[in-house]
Amino acid sequence: MPERTVNLPNPSGLHARPAKVFAKAAKAAPGEVTVSKDGREVNAASVLSVLTLDCHQGDAITIKVEGDDAEATLDELVALVESGMGEDT
Amino acid sequence: VTTTLTGRPAAPGAALALAFALADAPGADQPLSQAREGDVDAEVARLDAALATAGEQLTALAERVAESAGEDEAEIFEAHAEFAEDPELRDQAIEVIESGASAERAVVAAFGTFRELLAASASEYLAARAEDLDDVRDRVVALLQGRSVEVEAPIVRSVVLARELTPSRTASLPRELIAALVTETGSPTSHAAILARSLGIPAVVACEGVLAAVEAAGEGVEVAVDGRSGEVVIAPDERLRTEVADRIEAEEARREALEELRDQPGRTADGHHVELAANLGNPGDLEAAIAAGAEGSGLVRTEFLFQDRADEPSVDDQVGFYLDVLRAFPGQRVVFRTMDIGADKPLAFVARDPEENPALGLRGIRLHLARPELFRDQLRALIRAHRAAAREDVGKLAVMFPLVALPAELFAARNLLTAVAEEEHVSLEGVEVGMMVEVPSAAVGAGRFAEHVDFLSIGTNDLLQYLFAVDRLNGAVADLADVCDPVALGLIGRVIADGHAGGAWVGICGEAASDPVVAAALVGLGADELSMTRVAIPEVKDVLRGLELERCRHAVHTAIEEGGDATDVRALLEEQLGLG
Repeated sequence: MPERTVNLPNPSGLHARPAKVFAKAAKAAPGEVTVSKDGREVNAASVLSVLTLDCHQGDAITIKVEGDDAEATLDELVALVESGMGEDT
Repeated sequence: VTTTLTGRPAAPGAALALAFALADAPGADQPLSQAREGDVDAEVARLDAALATAGEQLTALAERVAESAGEDEAEIFEAHAEFAEDPELRDQAIEVIESGASAERAVVAAFGTFRELLAASASEYLAARAEDLDDVRDRVVALLQGRSVEVEAPIVRSVVLARELTPSRTASLPRELIAALVTETGSPTSHAAILARSLGIPAVVACEGVLAAVEAAGEGVEVAVDGRSGEVVIAPDERLRTEVADRIEAEEARREALEELRDQPGRTADGHHVELAANLGNPGDLEAAIAAGAEGSGLVRTEFLFQDRADEPSVDDQVGFYLDVLRAFPGQRVVFRTMDIGADKPLAFVARDPEENPALGLRGIRLHLARPELFRDQLRALIRAHRAAAREDVGKLAVMFPLVALPAELFAARNLLTAVAEEEHVSLEGVEVGMMVEVPSAAVGAGRFAEHVDFLSIGTNDLLQYLFAVDRLNGAVADLADVCDPVALGLIGRVIADGHAGGAWVGICGEAASDPVVAAALVGLGADELSMTRVAIPEVKDVLRGLELERCRHAVHTAIEEGGDATDVRALLEEQLGLG
């Protein structure tokens, strides 16, 4: 299953609005999406789970997608993270 | 016996009313049925129903709060609703049910898991979310137990006292029955305090012992609250009662005086009209802006339509919103700033190459011209809204482009607007077109633009940031950029003069205009319009109506000439204007 690791560019990491934007996109994606940091992997569609990873700016997170169009979904999510998810980067 | 306690002031205002002590919120310490009675499916169905209802209630609460207090205050409840609808939380609860527990136990366990993870974080933000989780958990458990989640409310207007107030309890209390709020715990930055401020309810927090004192005083005791000093007096004696009554009267008189100005236009004491408009960031602001007496809007930040979503909004969606705003201000001008994307507000669906320095990168009008599809859609939506409302008594459409640095950018954007209008067979007659002046090259060279626009609007936030090379989000340097610096005021004065010389009216949109002293200085420099946060409008209007135009002129020119730093200039302005 395709996966990629990105460094969080946005100042507040995966908190507040960015967490919401990210989880929303993961929820809307056709496949199953997980995100992990330091070996702990959680359901990316769950804002609560994403919050518990406590990801800060510069942290490396790994996004994994399973299901139809996994590669395309992964591309989109990685682009979303790299764009700063609604925050100044 | 009169008892005086002091807490921390959390929201200004004074009140004297009967005490009403709220019982502690029934929390997780309530006895819960441990084992489930029905089968797994039935228990999961109960769980789902409770989670769905909680989500609906919290969404409805968020909408109510957005209307009464504003979108910012509502955001917390939107987050609560999302917690209730979280898929992982549900999965975890189901696992617990499958192991034989009741739905109630499962909810407490599932919330508990997340709570622990969040509370363990060093981040203050996450630790605060842990408390939010308790609020949501208590609601879901109450729903499962068939208990009412409604907060008991006083019957007459009362001072509401509680150990602590969760945001949702505060928001569910009927506003008109709360004379003041007093809590034993909490801080002035807690959600309840912020909510009280935006609702205009006096509040005191961290007032230890207040519940015991009220209980000791017995039924029907009156409480006086001063939200400015933090003083809470239980059973005030005659002298204190008179004192508090005077204070309440003074606060009331001030509010009424401002209220009476609501439908009055902005002007100086000698009748020089200055349009006082509201900056609008989202649809929830509309009603509050009208209530504050805004004369139209000098800045509709359309980018909010595009934020927080994974794909771009359709032209029809946009038309609907633009119409709402136009209809809110019949006969007045409404300036829509085309989406200011980039730098501090990028969009999820606009892929951008990483930039070393986004504040100086591809943003504002530069992005419009580099990616014209989004821009054309927005112009099309604005033009269609204008056409749809053509026969109604609505606001006057004005279109404004952000971050213009060079005349060629302005011409290119105008040409696109004209082309789209032709495609839509709509005449642009009566539609004003203007630009933000926020880039130093546009400010220093304002004369190059003035003849080609109907108006210029000085965006003081960005102009100051670029003028002083100061990142306004960086606390370590933010103080270096001050609109009262004589260089900043001088530049603004020249932009206004250049604009007028070219036949354009000149407005100010930026935080600077919401400070009455600065507002008076800007009027003295010749500003035709001031657009600001709606909260500031009544105060600015009141101050301006007490000042002659010549006095504003004299004050600001004296202050600029005498020079010194921003602090000196501000002091001089205050002295010359008789303010402060």
